[in-house]
Amino acid sequence: MSRDEIPPGTLYLLILKTLAVRGVLHGCEFAESIQHHSEDILQVEEGSLYPALQRMLVKGWVAAEWGVTAGNRRARYFTFTADGRKQLAVELNKFERIMAAVNRVILTSQ
Amino acid sequence: MSLPGEIKRRIQMLFHRDQLNRDLEEEMRLHLDLRRQQQIDRGLTESAAARTAHLKFGNITRIKEKSLMTWGSETLECFLQDALYGIRAMLRSPALTLVALLSLALGIGANTAIFSLLDAVLLRSLPVKDPHQLLLMGTGDWNGTSDAFALTDAYSYPFYRQFQQKNAVFSSTAAIFSMLNQAHGFVLDPTGRASIEAEPMNIQLVSGTYFETLGVEAQHGRVFTDADDNSEGDHPVAVISNAWWKRNLASDPSVLSRRLKLGDTVFTIVGVVPPEFFGTKVGEAPDIWIPLSMMKSVPPHWAGYKDNFSESLLLFGRLKSGVSSQQATANVNLLFQQILRSFPNAKLNQENLEKLAKAHVPLTSMATGLSDLRGQFSEPLQILMAVVALVLLIACANIANLLLARSTARARELAVRQALGAQRGRIIRQLLTESLILALTGGALGIVLASAANRLLLHMVSGGLDNIPLDVSLNIRLLLFTFVVTIATALIFGTIPAFRATRLQLTDTLKSGRSPQGVGARNPLARILVISQVALSLVLMVGAGLFLRSLINLTNIDTGFNKENVLRLRIDFSSAGFKNDDPRQTALYNTITERVSALPGVKASSFSSFTFREGSWNGYINVPGMPVNHDIDVKHNIIGAGYFATMQIPLIAGRGFDSTDTATSQRVAIVSEHMARTLFPNGQALGRSYHIGDPKSPYEQQVIGIARDVKFDDLTENPEDIDYLPFFQGNCCLNSFELRYTGNTGSISTAVQQTIHSIDRTLPISGITTLDDEVARSITNQRLVAQLSTFFGLLAVFLYSIGIYGLMSYVVSRRTNEIGIRMALGAARSNVRSLILREIALLVAIGIAIGIPAALTADRYVTHMLFGVKSTDPAALLAAVALLLTVAVCAGYFPARRAARVDPMEALRYE
Repeated sequence: MSRDEIPPGTLYLLILKTLAVRGVLHGCEFAESIQHHSEDILQVEEGSLYPALQRMLVKGWVAAEWGVTAGNRRARYFTFTADGRKQLAVELNKFERIMAAVNRVILTSQ
Repeated sequence: MSLPGEIKRRIQMLFHRDQLNRDLEEEMRLHLDLRRQQQIDRGLTESAAARTAHLKFGNITRIKEKSLMTWGSETLECFLQDALYGIRAMLRSPALTLVALLSLALGIGANTAIFSLLDAVLLRSLPVKDPHQLLLMGTGDWNGTSDAFALTDAYSYPFYRQFQQKNAVFSSTAAIFSMLNQAHGFVLDPTGRASIEAEPMNIQLVSGTYFETLGVEAQHGRVFTDADDNSEGDHPVAVISNAWWKRNLASDPSVLSRRLKLGDTVFTIVGVVPPEFFGTKVGEAPDIWIPLSMMKSVPPHWAGYKDNFSESLLLFGRLKSGVSSQQATANVNLLFQQILRSFPNAKLNQENLEKLAKAHVPLTSMATGLSDLRGQFSEPLQILMAVVALVLLIACANIANLLLARSTARARELAVRQALGAQRGRIIRQLLTESLILALTGGALGIVLASAANRLLLHMVSGGLDNIPLDVSLNIRLLLFTFVVTIATALIFGTIPAFRATRLQLTDTLKSGRSPQGVGARNPLARILVISQVALSLVLMVGAGLFLRSLINLTNIDTGFNKENVLRLRIDFSSAGFKNDDPRQTALYNTITERVSALPGVKASSFSSFTFREGSWNGYINVPGMPVNHDIDVKHNIIGAGYFATMQIPLIAGRGFDSTDTATSQRVAIVSEHMARTLFPNGQALGRSYHIGDPKSPYEQQVIGIARDVKFDDLTENPEDIDYLPFFQGNCCLNSFELRYTGNTGSISTAVQQTIHSIDRTLPISGITTLDDEVARSITNQRLVAQLSTFFGLLAVFLYSIGIYGLMSYVVSRRTNEIGIRMALGAARSNVRSLILREIALLVAIGIAIGIPAALTADRYVTHMLFGVKSTDPAALLAAVALLLTVAVCAGYFPARRAARVDPMEALRYE
């Protein structure tokens, strides 16, 4: 079953929300988590995940630290920063605003 | 998202790029492994699992690059990469790099050095508050005192005061005495004792409002106020310069309690101005400023403070905000007419009223200050600026050619890169970066060269005396100028080769290792560059030739007097306490003249007011029998009896002054040829009398001799009307003492000074020079232009010879197999040599053909600066052409010889 692509502009939101829920994750776990929570509908391409994570590092929304996975492998774990939490609220707001607008359009044209 | 934090993180990333790379790689490897594990858990085989995982993941390298790119320093990274690559490439061909750097350093350095002079003399604003609001009344071209009616360039003190009160357009008005007082005074130590020797002091008399109008505040103490100037003689205060404080008072911290003695008056130092303030005249830096109210107390004791028509001051003011300069001009002119008419002793006769009606006071900007230097050097400097710009262009052409040649050699490398996918724009960017690095290095070297050259230039401009106080050191504006020039240079010489190098037929180039159209033998661009170099060099050399001949003509002008072996010095009687018409002073003149003339090696000596280029005292004379003409301007020179013998000015009629002329006998004068011819009836002056000044004046002089015409101020002047008056008939102001000698200048000078001091210890002696040097100094700016344009012309020729050598070497190396074939088919070695030389000759001929009309056109602009030589002078033209041809042949000789030495077998094997 082919999975749908992530709508543009929502990747940051999804990553931040996942962080908010799970606390600390490394790269692979993000992809799995999003896939799992969306019940296999949303699929994160590695090609967009890693650049997005790097961008969030630049902007200071997340912080990264090296740690050890359950399987005893070295991995980089990402955590929230204060700026990140603020950004999550901003992104949520934006998303809700857009979705409400889309809904209105859909409802009226019915 | 905090921006500063983001920027900080981006910059930090630059240093840890490698680390980030490795981190990302490891992260993605883990990810990949986990995915692979997943697939294995689903039941695939190892290899199938690995493949599936990889496919799902995507292009690892691409993802890594994209991730790194989000850090956004790609442009900077690319630039750094290109720069390092460029530096390595430069180091790989050291000879080419050295030549390029040398050409650039010389070209950019020359431009910077000349610009720094230009900036200091012409462009820089005064270091005062809002200099653009300052306006000067008149043209500023005035140096002296006059009593002429309706003079618009200089004003009297009472005029200044009235103008200050009545004007409506200046928020503040100030006056400066138009001459610098070069006096000698004593610095009193803290206990009040004077130093033994009088020191030379440059004193500028100014109004009390001077500093306030300029917006200059003292760094210690205070500056003048208007009150310091409002009554004559009772404000003995002085403000000193920072340089003088450091030099003569050793930066004494209690400077405000120090005093100095000038003449009979003791002045108290009340303030020190800031270090960057040097006054308002570029090229002059007074040591001490004193209020105009004290003008009579300061040697040479000017007496015009209360005189309505003693016009010696320059007036300037700060424009009120909201007032336009047209309004100001109107108001100033209106007041000018009113004030002059209102003076009670104004002679309002018809002649004067006409002058007043025609008089117009222009308001000129004081933003860049006053300057005598400017008039002298403004045009020479602009010409030199054009010259060095051309030299830089020639250097650029050289480097462009070198880069073209090198890029043809790199054709294969560039073809490979393009074949592998490099964008053409990216490669061009890299080549331009290389050019930029080259230019920046050359520019840095150029600045170093310029700093060294500046000192030499200043010395040349000063004409061999003490350096003129001009600040030509490095400053921001200069560095900015150099930077802009450097970037422009890089673009000029880098762009075309960059574009050419990347226009390649990829397959052909990869196969043969050279680009087909880049073969220098047929490359028109390189030829065009060399031709333009020849043309520009020709223009420069012709110009240099013209200036040189002009200079030689000037140095050969007959001055009328014999300038060899004459020593001249100034004795400052005024500073030593002698007033005008002091009988002791007259006695001293006689004693000194006798004793010095008696010294071994001294043939004659005399005092005089002037010798050459020392200023003048002009006046009107009245000759009975000739129509009244108020435009007559006779230069009076008061002299001793030995003057004509000392200066070796021949008397063509009559006699010189001798013992029959005493203080009580008939007043006599000797006149110059031109004066005799033009101002006396029938051109006969001998025996006739005339009045100096007003016909009713008591001074009637009888002409007893006629002297040959001499040059008085300037070598290029037309014959002037000069009369000579003997000092012992009650005339004063002898500043110069001159003597004719044989033997060693230094020892004679010492002997004379000792003699003078043995007669009177307190007489300050200064300005010791030979007449020869003084005459040479009068043509400093012509010498500057001639010497520098020749230097730069030769530099241009040197650069272009390198260009020809480089091009020809390259051409020969590219055509090696063609030459080999020719020789195998029977061409002699001399044929090959002449083949190459013919090609050079053709290039040079075309360049000369273009250069000659260019030179002729350009030289039309400098005709007025030339003396005794036309701008179309064929000799200069021929000399330049000959020089260029010779240099070209010499430069091309070695490549030609190399071509002739080609071994046909080697050449054929090359292919």
